[in-house]
Amino acid sequence: MPDPRTADTPFPTGSDVDVVDLLLTQHARIEEQFLLVAGAPAGEAKRDAFDDLVRLLSVHETAEEELIHPLSRGLVPGGDPLVDDRLAEERQANEILARLVTDGVDAEGFDAALVLLREAVLAHARHEERYEFTQLRAKVPASQLRALAVAVRAAEALAPTRPHPGTESATANLLVGPVLAVADRARDMIREAVRNPG
Amino acid sequence: MFNPLDHKGLPLDQQIRNWRELDVEPIDPEAVDPYTRCRIITMNGIEVEAILFQHQFARNCSDSDVRRQLAYTRYVENQQQRVVNWLLPGVASVLETTLGYEQVAVDLTAWVARHEPDPYLKQAYEFGVLEDFDHLYRYANLYEMVERRKAEKIVGGVTEVMPGRPTVAEHRHPFDNVRDPYAKDAVDPRSKLHALTILSAEQQVAIFYMNVGPQYMEPIARQLYQEISLIEQEHVTHYESLVDPGETWWERLVTHEYNECWLYYSFLQQESDPRIKAVWELHLQMELAHLQQACDLLRRHDGREPEQVVGDTGLPEPLTFEPNKEYLRHLLATQVDLTTLGAGYVREAHERFEWMQQQLHDGQKPPSEEVIDLHRAQYGDEYRLETEGAHPVESLRAQEGARRA
Repeated sequence: MPDPRTADTPFPTGSDVDVVDLLLTQHARIEEQFLLVAGAPAGEAKRDAFDDLVRLLSVHETAEEELIHPLSRGLVPGGDPLVDDRLAEERQANEILARLVTDGVDAEGFDAALVLLREAVLAHARHEERYEFTQLRAKVPASQLRALAVAVRAAEALAPTRPHPGTESATANLLVGPVLAVADRARDMIREAVRNPG
Repeated sequence: MFNPLDHKGLPLDQQIRNWRELDVEPIDPEAVDPYTRCRIITMNGIEVEAILFQHQFARNCSDSDVRRQLAYTRYVENQQQRVVNWLLPGVASVLETTLGYEQVAVDLTAWVARHEPDPYLKQAYEFGVLEDFDHLYRYANLYEMVERRKAEKIVGGVTEVMPGRPTVAEHRHPFDNVRDPYAKDAVDPRSKLHALTILSAEQQVAIFYMNVGPQYMEPIARQLYQEISLIEQEHVTHYESLVDPGETWWERLVTHEYNECWLYYSFLQQESDPRIKAVWELHLQMELAHLQQACDLLRRHDGREPEQVVGDTGLPEPLTFEPNKEYLRHLLATQVDLTTLGAGYVREAHERFEWMQQQLHDGQKPPSEEVIDLHRAQYGDEYRLETEGAHPVESLRAQEGARRA
């Protein structure tokens, strides 16, 4: 079994890096972090590893909801149902995640639920890589994809710390609570970065 | 030792599976033993060869009764292939499966090379394994560029990832890929099983690459699959030419079925996943019955006993997936600069080799070199997984810092 010690897949640098490169790297880190959580001893180590996973997932999904799915929607006839499928997958994963966060790593059934979450998240990631990212690379100008990378880097710096089911589409963003403020700030940062690149 | 000739197996009329039985649960790619994936990929190649061989046999057979018998067994072999290959998960990417294929080619061929009793045949495996070893390294670099993931995730640290015989030097004149065959009545039966196993594996790799390569959009990915698929085709020529062309269709059928028994039996001994182990167990029982049928055909049409083809001492030592790191390092240190000339091996770049290199490369770098250049340009270094120290060949050591050493 692969046994990474850290989720340390490096973020690529350089002028050619585009938003898809960064999202793929996040997928790789999320895969590694799942293994770290599953392999961590019970107690604080597991809690820390799980907190890191929650952070990675939240940053990643926020970036995709803000930047990628809206872009995909406009690309092809039939793009809408495809994006709807991805949003439904995100919603399903978020529901499992929210339950795990509420109950905590010491709760009975945590490990089994973590496996379910991993299956949902990794299948979702592969769907994006196969059906969504390929279309973006083929149909969106390379310069635009590179520009969007800036916004994803901004979101990395301002991560929400807990997931919020129901906010996977911008219009459903009604359940504003104290924790959501962080996600909102991340969202604002992404939008600001898109409006004023560089 | 277990002798398949002494067992009847599962009656043929009980071997057709329904949809529920065909709908197998795939392995979990995040939690699988890398060698479980290797065993699945190996048995897929073996079943594909069983199917292709039996189709060729049917096209060369005028006895309609035999053609019907072959059609039935072939249908069962097809269902076996569907079950085995469908154990691979949809969530894995083509490149991840590719890395699994190359890990198979490395550790399967290395094991066979270590256990091959005939020195000429042994040399053929030692020669070939260094080339697949290099492919693993090239694809690992592509994988990190295209999918942003590390090949360690797939190979799990039991197989090293570093240059072998550089792929650029593997393009030989087709004449020089034809080996001399073993003599079927003199050779150790183990050698027949080894040759059939490795040619089946390489054939499946070649078919896989030539079909999945164009599914990529990235130009370097398309180009690398094109190049390496051509080498795999060379390997099919290399290994299939080891087999005695004088074997009758009937004895080839016996050897095929006996080989399947050997491999399912082998993997049954070592499988760590109980669910997959049950598949190997069931398929062994199926193959035992196929073997009985093949032996009957041999007696009836060739007037010979199966022991004359596969020996009377039972199966050889089980084939085992296990690390071959030290052995591969030894081969790298001693054989990396070999090429072929006629049916033999030489160290110099002879005229025919140079001619082929010129025709193909025509002054350009091939994709297998470009992929490393691109990786260096993007990451500042290349992807390697050298768990046992620096590369044994000085000229193939990494030039940059030690980020991945």
